[in-house]
Amino acid sequence: MSTSVGSIHPAGASGFSPAASQTESQTGVARRTAAVPWYIWFGVVAVTSASIGGAWDVSWHRSIGRDAFLTPAHLAIYACGVIAAIICGYLIFATTFGHSAKLKDVSVNVIGFRAPLGAFIAAWGGIAMLTSAPFDNWWHNAYGLDVKIISPPHTLLILGMRGVSAGVMFLILAAMNRAESAGDEHGHTVLRRVFLYLGGLMITGQMFFLFEYTWDVVLHTTAAYIAMGIGLPVAFAMISRASGHRWAATISASIYMGYTIAEILIFPLFPATPKLGPVFFPVTHLVPAKFPVLLVVPAVALDLLWQRTSRWGWKPWKVAIVSGVVFMALVFAVEWPFANFLMSKASENRFFGTIYFDYNSRPDGYDRLRQFFNPASGMVLATGLAMATLCSAISAWVGLRFGAWMKTVQR
Amino acid sequence: MKSPAVRRIWLLLVVAMSAVPSAHAHVGSKDVFEQVSAGPYNLFITIRPPNVIPGIATVEVQATGAAIETLQITPVPLTGEASKHPPTADTLKRSAADANFYTGGIWLMAPGSWQVRFTVEGAGGHQTTSVPVPAVAIATLKMQRDLGIPLAVLGLFLVLSMAGVVAAAVREGRLPPGAKATPALQRRGLIAMTVSLSVMAVMVYFGAKWWNVEAASYSEDIYKPLKVQPALNGDQLDLNIEFYKGRYKTRDRANNDLLPDHGHLMHLYAIREPQMDAVFHLHPELAAAGDFRMALPAMPPGEYKLYGDIVHANGFPETLVTTVEIPASKPASPLGADDATATPAPLSSGPLGTSYKLPDGYTMVWDKPSTLTATTAYSLHFRLLGPDGAPAKDMQPYMGMTGHAAFVKDDGTVFAHTHPEGSAAMAALDIANGGMGAMSGMTSAPTPPEVDFPYGFPTPGAYRIIIQMKHASTIETGVFDATVQ
Repeated sequence: MSTSVGSIHPAGASGFSPAASQTESQTGVARRTAAVPWYIWFGVVAVTSASIGGAWDVSWHRSIGRDAFLTPAHLAIYACGVIAAIICGYLIFATTFGHSAKLKDVSVNVIGFRAPLGAFIAAWGGIAMLTSAPFDNWWHNAYGLDVKIISPPHTLLILGMRGVSAGVMFLILAAMNRAESAGDEHGHTVLRRVFLYLGGLMITGQMFFLFEYTWDVVLHTTAAYIAMGIGLPVAFAMISRASGHRWAATISASIYMGYTIAEILIFPLFPATPKLGPVFFPVTHLVPAKFPVLLVVPAVALDLLWQRTSRWGWKPWKVAIVSGVVFMALVFAVEWPFANFLMSKASENRFFGTIYFDYNSRPDGYDRLRQFFNPASGMVLATGLAMATLCSAISAWVGLRFGAWMKTVQR
Repeated sequence: MKSPAVRRIWLLLVVAMSAVPSAHAHVGSKDVFEQVSAGPYNLFITIRPPNVIPGIATVEVQATGAAIETLQITPVPLTGEASKHPPTADTLKRSAADANFYTGGIWLMAPGSWQVRFTVEGAGGHQTTSVPVPAVAIATLKMQRDLGIPLAVLGLFLVLSMAGVVAAAVREGRLPPGAKATPALQRRGLIAMTVSLSVMAVMVYFGAKWWNVEAASYSEDIYKPLKVQPALNGDQLDLNIEFYKGRYKTRDRANNDLLPDHGHLMHLYAIREPQMDAVFHLHPELAAAGDFRMALPAMPPGEYKLYGDIVHANGFPETLVTTVEIPASKPASPLGADDATATPAPLSSGPLGTSYKLPDGYTMVWDKPSTLTATTAYSLHFRLLGPDGAPAKDMQPYMGMTGHAAFVKDDGTVFAHTHPEGSAAMAALDIANGGMGAMSGMTSAPTPPEVDFPYGFPTPGAYRIIIQMKHASTIETGVFDATVQ
């Protein structure tokens, strides 16, 4: 894994020194534009839009309840698919039918079409998203309107959104890796920042998918830790290995936590009332997400570990085992007591957000009573955590291997 | 996940595809038709609950009386904590063609006993009224061919294109710009494609399993009336109702929480099958929790279908269905004070007319609409004439109402016991409108010799309609046939 702390420019996303001259600034802008093609910015906007749309949609369901095709939250999600369609359509057609040797040289061939690998992945995601729409609509007619996130059509939609996100990440990766190979340190740095930002959204997305397993009242079940063990080390390892950044896991975990805390601070500013029943809690404003899991702590530990293991030259399986243990030990050490705090009166404020409940949150339900659901202890807890640690190690191994492969992607 | 879609769709392509009809309280007649007055406003309300819960019920209102400016609706559970927190109300849309016709929808997010609360503003000031709506899932939908095929094609495309992308990634993803894939890389690409197809096949398999589990879990929530075990000993009929344990405690339905409706805990219709040529409206008494008993009157022998209407404490009505064989030698007890009977001509002798001759010389007449179509809301008008052919003069309320009606389809798939106010259970209507005294719609004053029943036949076919009205101390049971298109 290459480390590149020295290549990070000291100021801002523009990637040039604030002390630089005007001429240098203009050159910097020109270089940045050259380093980051327009379709990557479009892709970043698409993924951001889907992330915001997803969080907004969940809040919409928890506060207002009533769904429609054209809610603002849905539009933000569809925008992701539309933008993906535009950039992928352009890249596939321009590369396949155009005359640009430069584009063709960095393309791959899928059933006769040529484009960068990321374009095909994002296109796949866009089609998956489109397919999920009629499937989901049928699902509502067959089994009722949604009361949960994880249903087969939603999984297809989320896979599609992840496909777009992964596609954009691959577009960045290929450009980033080529910049590195070509010795373009500046281009590499800017692209890596964009990549890490999407990495943060990837962690946010993983936690979004695990939302029902990591709700604060279930943080004393083993299922929460098994779910995080499966879903998170793979993402942290992948982002870290692929980006080659010393603090990749820390940065992406911080983005997840910042994003979620921002949601807690911002959403309740907007009035919203339930438009369907049963209403057990009279909601008056948009209900935000639960306080984020304190992932930054295990992420810092993973970064510190991986900085050292790359120097020590450990085999991936050995790194994976230690990573799994470190990750799970720290998630458990931090989140288990923090969950106690979240159940306490001390957390009942605008920041920790345990004052917000869904409109259909029953007064005798665990959430309203601030009580843990089915807390584990003794052997159940021990075996659950052992299972979670095993899952973490496997998850980390997959992430490390795939991340290492991603680091070499050129197209 | 594309996997469940694809797998399931291919399965569905070879399986017959149709919606599954099912029962409801009443039986097979889920729509609520109600004629209500809110101060000076008269509203003929039709509420059509969805087949699945959560789902959207449509609401139609035909208004008469004082002029209306706005008509708003909101769904609220009939009882419990959530009944205190109505969601934001919606304004019903006024029809462009008929200024007195309004439409809208309400979202019913949980099964159970609901009400739709109507708020009227207009010339007669601010008024509210509520109509109870039982919400239950009655069917799951099978995948239709015209959706299944495009979805299957898209699913297949997703699987194949993903395999193509994986192959391309392995074959060319790591090549420096401009380089060509070597034969070794080409081979690795093919292997990657095969492996990815296998992985996706496994995902599709487990996705299909997941879909089946989800579908089975929804199917479990499909409404089934409480089970009732009949036993006949001499003339003693014993009906034992079983407690229903739901997947969640909130979905339990007890056999010991019943409310009296028109003074009785159960209204039991016994109809001789298959000719529907003997009908009884009876009222068993509760002997113990969930145990109804009564001494049966003289009944022509044969198999009878029993439809028992009950109302739970939360206003949720149910029609319990069972059958009982009446032997020829059964001893008989006299009919109860509120019990009634009729022996119309069998179905096989052709449809009954619009005028039904009663044993005491009276006649019941149905002012039958020229055509009857399924799902249309009607106000069905019946009159009772004395032996002289003039409107009967000595009318009395029958269990507090001008009349009682039962609509029964000849194949047994529909049974609805309704009243002049509509098809909602009176006990539920009473809870919905704030407990204005038991059976607020009931009267003890003399009633007119004519009655309207708001109702819509749920499906096309042949129906037998049983109407009861009372004059002096005689309960008359008129029977009519309807062919619904």
